[in-house]
Amino acid sequence: MSARGAAAERNSGMKKTTEKRKNREKEEQQQEEEELPMFDKNADKVGHLDDTDEEKEDLSDSEESVFSGLEDSGTDDDDDEEDDGDDDDDDDGDDASGEEEEEQDEENHNKVEKDPAAGETSLTPQTEDKPAKSRKLKKKKSVTSGGDEEEERGKSERDSGLKISSQVDEYEQDTSDEEDIRNTVGNIPMEWYKDFPHIGYDLDGKKIFKPIRSKDELDEFLEKMENPDYWRTVQDKMTGSDVRLSDEQVDLVHRLQHGKFGDINFNEYEPAIDFFSNEVMIHPVTNRPEDKRSFIPSLIEKEKVGKLVHAIKMGWIKPRRPKDSAPLYYDLWAKEDPNSILGRHKMHVPAPKIRLPGHEESYNPPPEYLLTEEERLTWEQQDPEERKLSLLPQKFPSLRAVPAFTRFIHERFERCLDLYLCPRQRKMRVNVNPEDLIPKLPKPKDLHPFPTTQSLVYRGHSSLVRSISVAPGGQWLVSGSDDGTVRFWEVATARCLKTVEVGGAVKSVAWSPNPAVCLVAISHGNTVVLMNPGLGDRLILSATDQLISSYEEPTEVKDQPVEWSLAEGTEHQQGQRLILTHPRAVKQVTWHGKGDYLACVMPDVSSNVQVVIHQVSKRRTQNPFRKNKGMVQCVSFHPIRPYFFVATQRHVRVYNLIKQELTKKLMTNCKWVSSMAIHPGGDNVICGSYDCRLAWFDLDLSTKPYKMLRHHKKALRGVAYHRQYPLFASGSDDGSVIVCHGMVYNDLLQNPLIVPVKVLKGHTITHDLGVLDVAFHPTQPWVFSSGADGTVRLFT
Amino acid sequence: MSQLQARFFTEYKKFAIDDVPFSIPAASEVKDLSNVINKLLEFKIADHKHVEFDFLVRGQFLRTSLANHMETENISTEEVVEIEYVQKFTAPQPEECIMHDDWISSVEADSEWILTGSYDKTARIWSLEGKAVMTVAGHTDVVKDVAWVKRDGLSSLLLTASLDQTVLLWEWNSERNKVKARHCCRGHAGSVDTIAVDPTRTKFCSGSWDKMLKIWSAVPTEEEDEVEEPNRPRKKQKTEQMGLTRTPLMTLSGHGEAVSSVLWTDAEELCSASWDHTIRLWDAETGVQKSMLTGSKVFNCISYSPLCRRLASGSTDRHVRLWDPRSKDGSLVLLSLTSHTGWVTAVRWSLSNNHQLVSGSFDNVVKLWDIRSCKAPLYDLAAHEDRVMCADWTESGLILSGGADNKLYTYKYGTCVSDAGA
Repeated sequence: MSARGAAAERNSGMKKTTEKRKNREKEEQQQEEEELPMFDKNADKVGHLDDTDEEKEDLSDSEESVFSGLEDSGTDDDDDEEDDGDDDDDDDGDDASGEEEEEQDEENHNKVEKDPAAGETSLTPQTEDKPAKSRKLKKKKSVTSGGDEEEERGKSERDSGLKISSQVDEYEQDTSDEEDIRNTVGNIPMEWYKDFPHIGYDLDGKKIFKPIRSKDELDEFLEKMENPDYWRTVQDKMTGSDVRLSDEQVDLVHRLQHGKFGDINFNEYEPAIDFFSNEVMIHPVTNRPEDKRSFIPSLIEKEKVGKLVHAIKMGWIKPRRPKDSAPLYYDLWAKEDPNSILGRHKMHVPAPKIRLPGHEESYNPPPEYLLTEEERLTWEQQDPEERKLSLLPQKFPSLRAVPAFTRFIHERFERCLDLYLCPRQRKMRVNVNPEDLIPKLPKPKDLHPFPTTQSLVYRGHSSLVRSISVAPGGQWLVSGSDDGTVRFWEVATARCLKTVEVGGAVKSVAWSPNPAVCLVAISHGNTVVLMNPGLGDRLILSATDQLISSYEEPTEVKDQPVEWSLAEGTEHQQGQRLILTHPRAVKQVTWHGKGDYLACVMPDVSSNVQVVIHQVSKRRTQNPFRKNKGMVQCVSFHPIRPYFFVATQRHVRVYNLIKQELTKKLMTNCKWVSSMAIHPGGDNVICGSYDCRLAWFDLDLSTKPYKMLRHHKKALRGVAYHRQYPLFASGSDDGSVIVCHGMVYNDLLQNPLIVPVKVLKGHTITHDLGVLDVAFHPTQPWVFSSGADGTVRLFT
Repeated sequence: MSQLQARFFTEYKKFAIDDVPFSIPAASEVKDLSNVINKLLEFKIADHKHVEFDFLVRGQFLRTSLANHMETENISTEEVVEIEYVQKFTAPQPEECIMHDDWISSVEADSEWILTGSYDKTARIWSLEGKAVMTVAGHTDVVKDVAWVKRDGLSSLLLTASLDQTVLLWEWNSERNKVKARHCCRGHAGSVDTIAVDPTRTKFCSGSWDKMLKIWSAVPTEEEDEVEEPNRPRKKQKTEQMGLTRTPLMTLSGHGEAVSSVLWTDAEELCSASWDHTIRLWDAETGVQKSMLTGSKVFNCISYSPLCRRLASGSTDRHVRLWDPRSKDGSLVLLSLTSHTGWVTAVRWSLSNNHQLVSGSFDNVVKLWDIRSCKAPLYDLAAHEDRVMCADWTESGLILSGGADNKLYTYKYGTCVSDAGA
């Protein structure tokens, strides 16, 4: 490989693509062609050892040997073919032969570059030592020649080469690799000879004298000025003479200074040849014929196989262990196994100990242990199980006189039985009382009083009873029915005292909560009738009539959405006092706690006037809401504070009537709210819905239900709170009324206690409707329910 | 254990037998024992006629076999059992069924006449045989209670209380069959639900829905009390009113709810029952509450027996409860008589027998009880077709009951009237 090729390789950098390699190969070939004449010349001179060629080889070798460290590093890579051949030949002959083979092949492929290598390898070992010897010679010559030889390098080289060829035999047996054996002082600091005229001793023990140095400083200077080779002249310390470095040597110094390889021909980026490729070759890698042993069966193997066969025959080894097909699962509970050692330790129950013998078992018991005749008789009469003592205490004069124990076998047997029957392990049983898992709620029987049985049935209506209301005193009950009548009942006897035809299905009735007036609001169709039923204290009745009649027309008449008119004629005789004509059908009427304000609900999605509030004493009507927030289901006044509850389909809105703003919006989580009731304390609300649920809101807690009760099977129609007792009830289409204990505590930290206590059944389901309304008696723990079967029932 | 030692005794001299223990089969029942006694009596008395007996073991009526009874009552069978025997009470015989126009709210009978109050706003006087004698009409609303005051020869005084908040004192002349409203007792602010005449027959007490008890004079006079009611137009009052206005002598307030029943235990003591779950005893002279018995339910009616000094109460559950009004150790219920299935609305002690009482209920049944047999009533009188609302028991042993089926039933009862004093 040429230096130019190496340089080109370096320039191209580390990256080598195949294309580049090809290009380079092409280049090389060209180069080789250029050099070919030289090689050809060499080839011609093979027989008689061409000097120049030898010299060339020599030089490069000497350099390598001087910088032996470099050579080591260099040989790692694929070196020049020459080197390869030189170094590896001794170590592995096979490889070398292989390479030779390859080289042969390559020769066949006209790879001309291999030629000199082939020539080299064919050389004898003696010729291989040549470089070292020639080097020594050269050095000797240089020492002897001194400064004269400096000017004509090429000539001297040739001369030395000639000398070498002539002096080859002289150092034939000298294989030492020393640097310079002419000076025998060894590797010592040369300053020691500074003051001597000689510089050391030669092999014969003669002094080697320093060259005469008559140069003073001036000469030195003139030399420097005049000698153009001054810069390349160095002093050889061993000889003290000046040596003019040749061009090659200068070049080498430069190369080393730049940190490059000393050998100019060394290509550190040699292309890697994939010697063993993945491709299947058609030709063998080596041409070597196969050994005989590869054809003959091995005796050793035969012996080994014979041994194995014998062992298999004898059953010492199994030919192949059958694979267990059982799947490998990890036994998770292996450690939990009660039969495992750990488990047995834990569960260990020691065997029962045998009782130690007492005095009565002694051969010579104290006399008090001996049985009297009577005791002995009873002992004998007793069954063996009943006996206190299993044996009769007997007294013997001496141990010698004791006979064999007759019950020995028997006793051993019993002992074995005991051991056999004794428990082997403790059974761990988790003692969880299932009742402990039930949340602790007080028992309903501790929550008395609450209604438990149906006591009275108020019969008279011919159609479903939509609404009921109890007088504040608790003596009367009013019920409105789809048969167009309103009936007034005596609570205690279920006597219908009064029946009023109003001329339309009655949707809602409400008794004024004010005990000082006696007014019942009845809604049917578009009208709401305020009625004085004429029941109760005469004074109150007359006061009520007076209140109605004492109304004076205001001077300025405001335009009102509702028309107020006085009842006259038969209607007046019936008890009707005021008739309020609304724009739409009124679904619900409800009174404020003071009994002066009356709220009416006219559900209509498209209208802004869904709720109106009437003031009875001033006959005034106001529409509290400007906006329509969905179909209003029912409304209610707060019992104490000026709040107003409006239930739409899914929400309950709480308005402050004084500030005229929305205070709260309760999310019922129901599909459709049907009814609503406010706790007399005012902080709790229950909502019944058509999706069978009852939501209890604690207004202090959150706007979400505190509790959802799903006890009813069908839609809830009515809910009610008791005014005094901690009770609430819900009526549903499944014909039942469920009474719950709902205790509200004054302590703000304590949440309400809600316990369902009773399911009251009595109403028959008519047209898929069961209970339509529920109401509590104001003072007793009684609940009224009105149903689709036309009855009102009292549960006490 | 087939035989028991038993000794029989009786309070009736007529049926007394020798005081010797007998060995009787443990399985024997009332009928067997009755036969035994009859046999013994036949030996003793030549002309003995068969009599049905009832037997009491330690004050409890025998209703099952003797062994069974003694086991449930925890009586030792080792000793001689003392068995008392009495002549068996025969079942009350239904006498009359008197039809009314409307519900019968109240009934009171004396030895000659029956007075009933009805929801048709009238009171009616009937003979004991069920003949309508007189209709007392004057109230503007339902008559809630009626009471006889006294009888002087042919003229009688009677009281009617009504939902119209008044009590009317009537004078009825039975010969001329004329009734005249003598006084209109005004003062209550609610319906007057109950009235009771004191033993001296000069005063009466009324209880009302307005939670008040008022004591009035029952003596008819010709003077009218002044009514201090300025807002009531006098003219109107005059035209509407029946008889002269009378104002209460005394008002007793204390009840928290409507007064449902009132009675005099003696001339100085009043007893009232109320919807506020209490029975209160009042001193009628001073008008001070003396003591209070607290129940758990609304009281509908009370009755007091001077013979046994017990108070019987009916309430809005199915029990008849017996109280001792003089007990100082709290207000404990002595006994509960449980057999009704509805509210007990009427309860009345027998005037002659200190063990027996009658109760009427909303379950349409009137029951006759002997408190010595508290587990089950002596007889069920299931004649009514609707709720029983009132019951009474005359001295002559006539049981009356009226109800919401507009019928007043009378029953003759009294087997041992002649021996009652024994």
